[in-house]
Amino acid sequence: MIRHIFKLIWNKKSSNFLMLLEIFLSFIVLFVSLSFVIYNYRLLNKPLGFESQDRWMVYLNDMSELDSLSRGQLKETLELELEQMDRIQQIAFGNYAAPFSGNNSISGDDSGGFLIRSKLATVDINFAETMDLQVTSGRFFDDRDYANPNYEPVIVNQFFMDKYFPEKNMIDSIIVFSGDKQIIGVIEGYRYNGEFTEEEPMMLQLGHPRDNNLGVMYIDLQPGTTAAYEEAVNKKIADIVQDESFIILNLEDQRKQNSRSTWIPIIALISICTFLCINVALGLFGILWYNINKRKGEIGLRRALGAHTTDITKQFILEIIFLTALAVILGIVFAIQVPLLKLGPLEPINLYYAIALSAAIILIIVTVCALHPSWQASKIHPAIALHDD
Amino acid sequence: MIQLENIHKVYRTKTIETTALNNINIHIKKGEFVSIMGPSGCGKSTLLNVMGLLDEPTSGKVIVADQEVANYNSKATAAFRNQTLGFIFQSFHLIPDLSVIDNVELPLLYRKVNAKQRKALAIQALESVGLKNRTGHFPNQLSGGQKQRVAIARAIVGQPDILLADEPTGNLDSVMGNEVMDILLQLNQTLNTTIVMVTHDENMAKKTHRLLRIYDGSQVA
Repeated sequence: MIRHIFKLIWNKKSSNFLMLLEIFLSFIVLFVSLSFVIYNYRLLNKPLGFESQDRWMVYLNDMSELDSLSRGQLKETLELELEQMDRIQQIAFGNYAAPFSGNNSISGDDSGGFLIRSKLATVDINFAETMDLQVTSGRFFDDRDYANPNYEPVIVNQFFMDKYFPEKNMIDSIIVFSGDKQIIGVIEGYRYNGEFTEEEPMMLQLGHPRDNNLGVMYIDLQPGTTAAYEEAVNKKIADIVQDESFIILNLEDQRKQNSRSTWIPIIALISICTFLCINVALGLFGILWYNINKRKGEIGLRRALGAHTTDITKQFILEIIFLTALAVILGIVFAIQVPLLKLGPLEPINLYYAIALSAAIILIIVTVCALHPSWQASKIHPAIALHDD
Repeated sequence: MIQLENIHKVYRTKTIETTALNNINIHIKKGEFVSIMGPSGCGKSTLLNVMGLLDEPTSGKVIVADQEVANYNSKATAAFRNQTLGFIFQSFHLIPDLSVIDNVELPLLYRKVNAKQRKALAIQALESVGLKNRTGHFPNQLSGGQKQRVAIARAIVGQPDILLADEPTGNLDSVMGNEVMDILLQLNQTLNTTIVMVTHDENMAKKTHRLLRIYDGSQVA
């Protein structure tokens, strides 16, 4: 039967060509769209590395006119006063390379024998706890590190380790990166530019609250704290800093706003894919109905020659599935060149998933569309079919 | 070989009831070549469809090859048709996208005969109708007479006991019609195949063993 169906498809190659082309092009469009969607979906499912829920971020006003001692005292007062508020659990400070801010600090150094490039952020000792960073090995900064006279302590992310020191335990080791740095801990990740960004090598440096560049304050709130509480916090900060030019931002809102720019093209692509699939389905439905009506005589003849209704259903479904499989195989041959030849910017795994998903979607659509017309074909009365033709 | 008892066939719509066959009683013996004649629309083809199990009578008993087929389910009926009956149609009903040999192999496909054996049997059938050298041709490359000979080869490839021919010479000129008729007569004589043929042609009907006449759904002779 399978050979017979292949013969039928081959002998009708000129009339099948357009359908084959339609399925092939649909596969390619789906593949391209799904590659982007899958890439972003996988990014979305990776942990950010820090918590944005119930976290506020305060951009403090410029304190450069104050001396370091006054700055330190002011921030210490902020920390003490705010932590006494009923819904505030922890306060930390960091520099302007803050989550979802778009601010980046990148540095590179090849004096250690190979090039190390990493993003940098400066934070204080409370940052890990305040932002719920996951330390996977070593430890986070603590008071001892302020007094380390020999090496500047740094925390790196796992991606940094995997890229530059794979399968090595570098805890307490010294690396050359803008001077000697001692890696004291490794964090799981810190994708502070947002959930739709790739993990990159990241290095956290220790900053002291008295440093002028630690101008961002992070507040860890009790779960369920509402925006109304912001007024009390705002008042408290204003009383301490004697200024109202600071800005309080809800980190979760920032995360959502940051993601919106990526969600829009994703939703647009999913809409295009859905529209395309509906079009393909309707087109196939129409072609199948036309084919069945055109081939009524053949259906009647096959029934007269001993075909059972299931043979007719099977034949029509297999015909369309084989044709689709042919178009999909052709599409896969083209699509697979992208990861094999590393033609695109995306990681190959995303492309393989996109190929598999595109093939599955097309085959499911085709099978579903073929089921009803094929079943209807089998219900055609042989005597009527032979008479009509 | 074929026994029809009190066959009635009525087509009903919401508003109208049409009697296509009215109390038909026919008994056709093995090896008989019977022709059925009658004006257009008198029920000849319906009668052939009932004999060929392509249509069910509204009432009456159908016995084909000593089997009362009324109780057969659709799968058994399909298998019975495949094993016992061969069909020849006025408009040939060849599948245009299949070559001559593939068209002839069709009944064997549903009998699950392997490809090698199918091919051998199809060539043998085509040889018996004088078309062995046309196996790779497609129906649109054949004349009307050749098409009907392919259809005959397809009908006999499974060596059925009964051949049902619905105006097999109706679309052919007299020369080609005679050629086709000669093949049918030869099949009847050499293989003892029972043949029932619907025809409008008195001359063709005269060549058969027996003539049945139908008029307005009733048997008149």
